[in-house]
Amino acid sequence: MSRKQQHLKPQMQNRKVKLTAADHAFNVIVNIFMVVILIAIILPLWSTITLSFRPVDFLGSNLDGMFLPPWKWSTAAYESLLGNDGFLMAFINSFKILIGGVVCALFLTIPMAYVLSVQSLPGRKIINMIVIIPYVFNVGMIPAYLLVKDIGLINHLPAVFLPGAISTYNCIIMRQFFVGIPNELKESARIDGCTELQVLFRIVLPLSKAIVMTIGLYYGVSFWNDFFNAMLYLNDSYLNPLPILLRNILIGSGMNENLDVAAFANAPINAIKAASVFMSAIPMVIAYPFIQKYFTKGTLLGSVKG
Amino acid sequence: MKKYQRAIALLMIALVALPVFAGGGKEAAATAAGTPDDPVTIDLWFGASMTEAGMIPEDWVGYDIIRNELGIDLKLTMLPSSESDQDVKVQAAGAGNALPDLFQVRRPVLVNLVNQGLVADVTDCFDKMPVRTAQQYDEASKQNTTIDGRIYGFASPGMIVRNEGLLVRKDWLDNLGLEVPTTTEEFLEVARAFTFDDPDGNGIDDTYGYGAFVETDANLKGYPGSRLWPIMGAFGVEGLWCFDAPNQGLNIYKPEFYDFMVFLKEMCDEGIIDPNWLSYKKDDFRAAWKQGRFGMMYEQNAAYAAEANYAPFDKNFPDGEWQIIDAITGPEGHAAIGAYDMNYRIYAVSQKAVDAGKLDKICELLEWMSGDEGYYLLGWGQEGVNYVLDENGIPVAGDLGDNAFTGSKGQVYTQLRNMVFYNSDVELTSRYPTYTCAVSGKEMSALKALREMQGMKWTNAIGSSTLPTPSADVQRFYDQSLAEFLSGAKELTPENWAAFIDQFNKIGGKVWNDEGVAQLEAEGLVRQ
Repeated sequence: MSRKQQHLKPQMQNRKVKLTAADHAFNVIVNIFMVVILIAIILPLWSTITLSFRPVDFLGSNLDGMFLPPWKWSTAAYESLLGNDGFLMAFINSFKILIGGVVCALFLTIPMAYVLSVQSLPGRKIINMIVIIPYVFNVGMIPAYLLVKDIGLINHLPAVFLPGAISTYNCIIMRQFFVGIPNELKESARIDGCTELQVLFRIVLPLSKAIVMTIGLYYGVSFWNDFFNAMLYLNDSYLNPLPILLRNILIGSGMNENLDVAAFANAPINAIKAASVFMSAIPMVIAYPFIQKYFTKGTLLGSVKG
Repeated sequence: MKKYQRAIALLMIALVALPVFAGGGKEAAATAAGTPDDPVTIDLWFGASMTEAGMIPEDWVGYDIIRNELGIDLKLTMLPSSESDQDVKVQAAGAGNALPDLFQVRRPVLVNLVNQGLVADVTDCFDKMPVRTAQQYDEASKQNTTIDGRIYGFASPGMIVRNEGLLVRKDWLDNLGLEVPTTTEEFLEVARAFTFDDPDGNGIDDTYGYGAFVETDANLKGYPGSRLWPIMGAFGVEGLWCFDAPNQGLNIYKPEFYDFMVFLKEMCDEGIIDPNWLSYKKDDFRAAWKQGRFGMMYEQNAAYAAEANYAPFDKNFPDGEWQIIDAITGPEGHAAIGAYDMNYRIYAVSQKAVDAGKLDKICELLEWMSGDEGYYLLGWGQEGVNYVLDENGIPVAGDLGDNAFTGSKGQVYTQLRNMVFYNSDVELTSRYPTYTCAVSGKEMSALKALREMQGMKWTNAIGSSTLPTPSADVQRFYDQSLAEFLSGAKELTPENWAAFIDQFNKIGGKVWNDEGVAQLEAEGLVRQ
C-alpha cells in the first residue's frame, strides 16, 4: 500500500477512483483554461525576447519574428546596450537605489511595525490613525517636492527612496504579522529581562524572516522600478537610474526614428527597446525564485491575523 | 546592548529632527563678476536632441569656451524625453520656487508660470541678440510666447513642417501603363489596378492600392489620422480643425466629412486599401511598404528616403521607384496633401534669474550659441574631432568613426543642437546627405524629397496646437465611432451619421467645438 493511500478508509484502499464523464470534461476544460493562461503569459514574454534578438536586416511582421530560428538571431541590441556607458551607469545607479532603499526602508519599517503591534502601547489607536491618514489622503507631489528640496536632497540618490522609505501599506502588513506572533513568547522574554529592542531583535525578527523577505521584495521592486521620483528629484543625468534611461530609449528613439543618426544604431530600435526592457527585468527575475518560498507565507499570515 | 540602544535612539532622533532643517541653506547671492575667474553660474534645463544617448560629457570643450569667453559657468540638466514628464518636472520646480535660470517649457505650462510671476518678461531682450533674433525669432515666434502684450519666452523653430507627402509606385504605374492620378476617380482607378492587376508581375494576388495606419493626435490630426490626409484633402476635411469661415470649428461637422467617410468606406469594401490599416502600427506599416505590399501611401521624407530607411526597399526592389505626387482633387475641387501647424521650442528665463542679475548673461550666452563658433560647436561638435567640412562647407561625418557627430560616442556632444538649429540649409544638407543606394545604385536624397513635399498643396492650420483638446471620453467616442463606421461594425448611413453627431454633441463634443471656435475667433485665426 502506498503511503498516499494509508489515510484512506480500508474500503477505499486499493480502489481506483472512477471519474465520470463530467469529471473528465471538467478536467479537460480546466487544462485547456490553464494552457490558455500559460500561453497568455508566455506569448508576450517570448515576443519581447525574440524581438530583442532581431537582426538589423530583418524584414517581416512581429509574428514572423517570433518564429525566427535562433541561428538567425542577433545579439547586436545587447552589445549596443552593454557597450553604452549610460546604460551601465544607470544600472549601477539603480542598484545603489535598490540596496540603499531596501536597507533604509526595512530599517525604518520594522521598528515602526513592531511598535504598532504592541498591544499595550499607550495611545496605540491614535498612533495607528496618524499612520493611516497619510495613506488615505496622500500629501501630494508639490509638498513632497518642497520637503525634499528644503532638506537638501534634490540631486541626491536618497531623494528617490527616502520619501517612500516607510510605506504604510507594507507597515500594516508587517504589523499584522508581528501581532500574530504568540504574545507568550514576548512575555516570557520580557520576564527573562529582555528590553523591547531585545524582544524585537532576538525573538520577533528571527520568527519573521518570511515577512521581512516579502516586504523587502515589495520595497525592492518599487525602488527598482521607480521612475517618477528619479525624474522629479534628480537633475544630474549621471545619477539617472535605469527606468529613466529606459523611458528615454522608449520615447526618444521614437522621436529620432527618422534620422540616420541614432544612439544605438547597430541594431533595430525595437530590438534595443525590447532588450532594455528585458535587461532591466533580469535582477527582479533572478531575485524572485529565492524569495518565493517566503512569499506566500509572509503575505497570507499577515492577512488573516488581526 | 546599551550602546546599541543609544545608537538607535540617536539615529531616530536625527531622523525625526530632519524637518527642523527644512529651511535649507541660504542660496548664494549672485555677486559673481561674470569673468573667467569669477563666472556667473547659469542653470540650463534643456531638451536634448537625443536623450537616450546620454548627457554631454564633463570634459566637453564647450564648458571651457563658455567660461573663458563669456564668464559663464554653465550647469546643464537634461529634461526627460516625454513632454508630459517635462511639464511635471518644470511645474514642480516652479511650485518650489526652484526654477533654473533658463529652461525649456511648453506653452500651457509657460502660461501658468507667468500667471504665478515666476517667469521673466523678455520683450526687451531681442535687441541684445541680433544674430539669434534674425535666425530664430520672427513675429510668429514672438507671438507664440506673447501673453497680455508682453513676451515671456524665446520660441525657436521646432520640427520641420510639411515634410510628408503622397507617394506612388512609379514602376507599378509603368508596368500597368497608368498615369499619375490627379483626381479622386483616377486615384480609385489606380488603386483598383494596383490591387487586382498584379502590378509587380509576380503572379500572386498580394498587393493593394493604398496603405496606411491610424496616426492621430488631439490637436492637428483627428481620426482617422494624417495617413489619410491626401484623401481627406480632396474633400476639404484634412486636419482636425477647419480655420475657414463660415465653417470654422471641427471638420467632423462639415457635410464633406461624411462624403469622405463614404469614399473611404468604399475603398475598404472594395479591398483596395490594405485591410490591415486599422490595426497596423507605424513599424508594421513601414515594413509593409518595404515588402511591396501597396502602391500608394503617405510618408515622411526621411522615413521614406533616408539611407537606413530606404535600404530594405532598395534591396527587395532594385527596380522599384516611389514618386512624390501632388494632392488629388476631389469632387468639389478641393485638394490638399495635409494640414500643418508651426511648432516651437520655448526657452524661458526665470524671474529668480532676473532678480539675481543674470538676464544680460543669458542673452549673451544665447547670442554666442547662434554665432559661428557656438552654432557649429553645439550643432556638430568640434571640427576635426566630431565633424569635417566637405567641399561645400557642409559638416559631414567623414572618416571620424564613432567620434563623428553621427557616431555613438560623438553624438552626445550635440545634445544642445536643438538650441541652435533653425532648419537652415546647412543643417538640412548635413542631416540628409545625398547617397547612392547599395543595390540599385540610384542616387537618393531625403532633402530632395523634403523640398518636393514642401512644394505641394498644404493647408495652413497654424494655431492647432493651442486649441482645446477633448476629454478622454469624448476622444474615445469620436475615434471608436469612426472606426466602427469604417470597419462595418456600424452601418454608414446618413441617419446613423446624424445619430452619431447628435450623441457626440451630447457627451461633450459640442462644448469642445464651441470652445475651439471661440478661441479661433479670439485669436484672429479664422480665415474669411
